[in-house]
Amino acid sequence: MATFELYRRSTIGMCLTETLDEMVNSGTLSPELAIQVLVQFDKSMTEALENQVKSKVTIKGHLHTYRFCDNVWTFILQDAIFKSEENQEHVDRVKIVACDSKLLTQ
Amino acid sequence: MAEQGLEGSQPVDLKKHPSGIVPTLQNIVSTVNLDCKLDLKAIALQARNAEYNPKRFAAVIMRIREPKTTALIFASGKMVCTGAKSEQQSKLAARKYARIIQKLGFPAKFKDFKIQNIVGSCDVKFPIRLEGLAYSHGAFSSYEPELFPGLIYRMKQPKIVLLIFVSGKIVLTGAKVRDETYTAFENIYPVLTEFRKNQQ
Repeated sequence: MATFELYRRSTIGMCLTETLDEMVNSGTLSPELAIQVLVQFDKSMTEALENQVKSKVTIKGHLHTYRFCDNVWTFILQDAIFKSEENQEHVDRVKIVACDSKLLTQ
Repeated sequence: MAEQGLEGSQPVDLKKHPSGIVPTLQNIVSTVNLDCKLDLKAIALQARNAEYNPKRFAAVIMRIREPKTTALIFASGKMVCTGAKSEQQSKLAARKYARIIQKLGFPAKFKDFKIQNIVGSCDVKFPIRLEGLAYSHGAFSSYEPELFPGLIYRMKQPKIVLLIFVSGKIVLTGAKVRDETYTAFENIYPVLTEFRKNQQ
């Protein structure tokens, strides 16, 4: 299955990449294996978000900028409110990068 | 509502608008040639508020907030600007888009700017017997309420298409200059009063 690499830039993805870098630099892990772990991470994130995450969040804010290029939407929102069932959070500025998951199955 | 406000603040020139109603311009479509080949993907990646999906449409769709307009930008350098409320605003918007393209490093010019279409609308504030109008102006009218609730009136001089609704709301399209819109409305107004529906 093809996957997006966009979750590598999330906090958990960055942490994993840092750790793998350290391990490769100290010689505990081969670069090939590190790459393999990252590919597995892409797959696991996609699968987990698809199958294990049930919560929904609505995002509302002032659309400052948008872009659609290479099938990727980019939105910059100002004064955004993230609402889930339990709580809501106000954010001054947020960037949203979104890909169409249907493109993976094609 | 906006028209009423306008009428209230500025007296209508009755020599030019004998009906006392001035159609409000709703949309202006203009074209301009930037006269240079454009890399649309580079534009979509660098400019803000741009969409580029070559599988669906071979142009970058870009928007600005002031004047609130949308531009279609083609690889040939041709551009279409829509959504402005006046000719000047349309030209100003087209200039702003050209400036954006220039700032991205393309040698954009501003050649052959032309207003291609003007859409106006107004409200005569009385209901209209569309069937009667269609019957007596058969050569110009097309009224098929099962297809579309408005009467389509293709005026020959000036060459303007009018959509006339029972409610008395009128849409005028096809003008290249605003006076064609105004003339078309003044031409049709006596006809509308003739086919005014008597309210029960």
